[in-house]
Amino acid sequence: MSWALSRRTVLAGSVVAGTASRRALAQAGAWPSQPIRLVVPFAPGGTTDLVARLVAAGLQERLGVSVIVENRAGAGATVGSEAVARAAPDGYTLVMSNIASHAISPAVYRGRVRYDPVADFAHIALVVSNPTVWVANPRSGIRTLQDAAAKARGPGGLDVATSGAGSSNHLMVVRMGQLIGVELNHIPFRGAGPAMQAVIAGQVPMMSDSLPSSVAHIRQGSVVAVGMASAQRHPAFPDVPTFREQGFDLASDSWFGLSAPAGTPAAIVERLNRETRAFLGSAEVRARFSELGGTPGDLTAEGYGDFVRREVALWAPLVQAAGATAD
Amino acid sequence: MDLFANLAHGFSVALTFNNLLFCLIGCLIGTAIGVLPGIGPVATISLLLPITFGQPATTAIIMLAGIYYGAQYGGSTTAILLNLPGEVSSVVTTLEGYKMARRGRAGAALTVAALGSFFAGTVATVVVAASGPLLTQVALSFGPADYFSLMFLGLVISAVLAQGSVVKSIGMVVLGVSMGMVGTDVQTGQQRFTFGIPELSDGVGFVSMAMGMFGIAEIILNLERPEARSVMSGKVGSLMMTREEFRRAVPSVLRGTLVGTFLGILPGGGAALSSFGSYMMERKVSKGRHEFGTGAIEGVAGPESANNAASQTSFIPLLTLGIPANAVMALMVGALIIQGIQPGPRMVEAQPDLFWGLIASMWVGNLMLLVINLPMIGMWVKLLSVPYRFMYPSIMIFCAIGVYSLQNNVFDVYQTVVFGIFGYLCSKLRLEAAPMLIGFVLGPMMEEHLRRAMLLSRGDPMVFVERPISATMLAIAAIALGAMLMPNLRKGKDAALQEGG
Repeated sequence: MSWALSRRTVLAGSVVAGTASRRALAQAGAWPSQPIRLVVPFAPGGTTDLVARLVAAGLQERLGVSVIVENRAGAGATVGSEAVARAAPDGYTLVMSNIASHAISPAVYRGRVRYDPVADFAHIALVVSNPTVWVANPRSGIRTLQDAAAKARGPGGLDVATSGAGSSNHLMVVRMGQLIGVELNHIPFRGAGPAMQAVIAGQVPMMSDSLPSSVAHIRQGSVVAVGMASAQRHPAFPDVPTFREQGFDLASDSWFGLSAPAGTPAAIVERLNRETRAFLGSAEVRARFSELGGTPGDLTAEGYGDFVRREVALWAPLVQAAGATAD
Repeated sequence: MDLFANLAHGFSVALTFNNLLFCLIGCLIGTAIGVLPGIGPVATISLLLPITFGQPATTAIIMLAGIYYGAQYGGSTTAILLNLPGEVSSVVTTLEGYKMARRGRAGAALTVAALGSFFAGTVATVVVAASGPLLTQVALSFGPADYFSLMFLGLVISAVLAQGSVVKSIGMVVLGVSMGMVGTDVQTGQQRFTFGIPELSDGVGFVSMAMGMFGIAEIILNLERPEARSVMSGKVGSLMMTREEFRRAVPSVLRGTLVGTFLGILPGGGAALSSFGSYMMERKVSKGRHEFGTGAIEGVAGPESANNAASQTSFIPLLTLGIPANAVMALMVGALIIQGIQPGPRMVEAQPDLFWGLIASMWVGNLMLLVINLPMIGMWVKLLSVPYRFMYPSIMIFCAIGVYSLQNNVFDVYQTVVFGIFGYLCSKLRLEAAPMLIGFVLGPMMEEHLRRAMLLSRGDPMVFVERPISATMLAIAAIALGAMLMPNLRKGKDAALQEGG
């Protein structure tokens, strides 16, 4: 993988960092003394945005300063992330780092992503991870992944809807096709909502989705959960077997967390990690997230950094295989 | 009568003091952001979302719904007064509404927009209450092929929007469609025509385009005419509609309501199509069709009713399926989920207070908007007598702030400037902006549905004529094309005569 502009970015960044870290050091004792900006690299209204607002409210209460959510969408979440990568590392600018901006998009947009998802950030904490679930229209006759595989091998193949090309859900379709040995007919939509509607209406028999956007439809029976692509069964859906149980070696979560520009003082990163985990650990938040289909994160700052590094290494070859690069 | 019992229950929820108060707050905020160019309901609702956490779910959703339709109301005010459409649906309102304002009938245009919207909102609310679940089936029966044909029909008829040459208008539609191609390809994730600019990877901004092509271009044009440097060329005129105007508006409101109620149910382009559709219909069938282009009241009454009806019925897929029809609805789903409520078919039984309370509050909200807006019309119209040297700079500043706030990115402001200059050149060349905007909105949707339909049919194009809905739409489009081209040969002659005479 190449980060065409990363060296220049790092150089430019270090000039900024030089002046900024002096400022940061001067302020470190008093941090936080001014409002914190939390950049969400997606448009308002999505899952990431909603969770970011919950986390912002929680941090605001714990830190005693305003935490303002700012949406900067665009280019697979890379526009907002780049802005934060270049911001002063003083602990007052944070980003909701996520599977798109920090694992998939850098591989999709390659040379055009002007930040390194690992080196240009001080990763703070994992906030939520959501398992991928495969759901089917109840009238499609698909109840297990073996049914799906049989349909895929049969005449006409199997159509699978996703929330969009290049999303983690799409890459799951590619991996599943490799495991079955037949290419699946990927039908991308603009977002999970329209895709889910097509599945409920029976226009597309299956969908690869992130659990939170499917939860309501599974509960009310308008779609059937066929398999959960996670290591263990989900506590809210104990009846839905995992992919591994059904003989397909796949486990993948979509995730998002908090990150700051590289060079942010370790004390600030530690404090933010502690407060975020304390907020996520409260019984009420855990219950709400679990009901929504997600799992609140509980990693150290170092643990989250390693996690991001592993994800980058995991997704790059899959993006290549999916032919989803944007060149 | 279950319906009446349910509605009565709904009103008992909606009319509690707390819910009324939040409905009012929502309507006021909505009207305010609708009037301010560029600040849309999506940004506002997401900002206010945390405030609703502390309120009961019903109250929260009533307030958010108030913001949503309040913004629709407010948006038409700037479209009529200043030629500034803030949303897709108000582009059409600028066409006749702004012309009316220039003729000194701004008061009448605003009044008919408010009354028409209220009537349409009332009808649509009854439709949502009486047949929501039934209509869901209609929405579900629309597959990708049917959507494609519907959009295609819309695009074909949009050439009718041309006020001058049909060839120029088709050219503008094509230009709009091409601009719509900029950005990330939905099917493959490839970047198209972005020239390496990351901000363009999500496409050209609609608000930038609409503001530049209409509002900013209009300001530049006005500055060029030193003698008529006021928004209004004539006197303010009476605020109320004349009896004649009222009589002409009634059938248009009825037709607009019908079109909007139906198209609003369709997720995606439904609400946008409804105001275009209504405008085209009025232009073809209304008694005042010869006045179109000079400020026909039908051209305001129809589309305004249609877009308000559509904004009410677009709640149907949300309430019955749990599927949001647009970005605002997606935010409402988010708000409900945060409250621990999952929208869907079971909501009617599991949350009767919420379901029926929301429906009743839609009507209450519409009534409030009428009460808020009618007395304000006089004030809005007075705004037009503000000298241009105060007016235009403030419009520009509000536009810049609004556009910047979309993504907190200066790129969008530059984009607006470019479109402002381009819009100015277009009006110099007598090229219409409206067909371009419609092409821009419908083109990418059409492409998306076309390719999805082909993916699902394994490349068999017969799917477009085999499906009855799709086949009907294509047939109507073919007839419309035929009808448009034939009299055009004659019209060419007429135009030549006119120019000669």
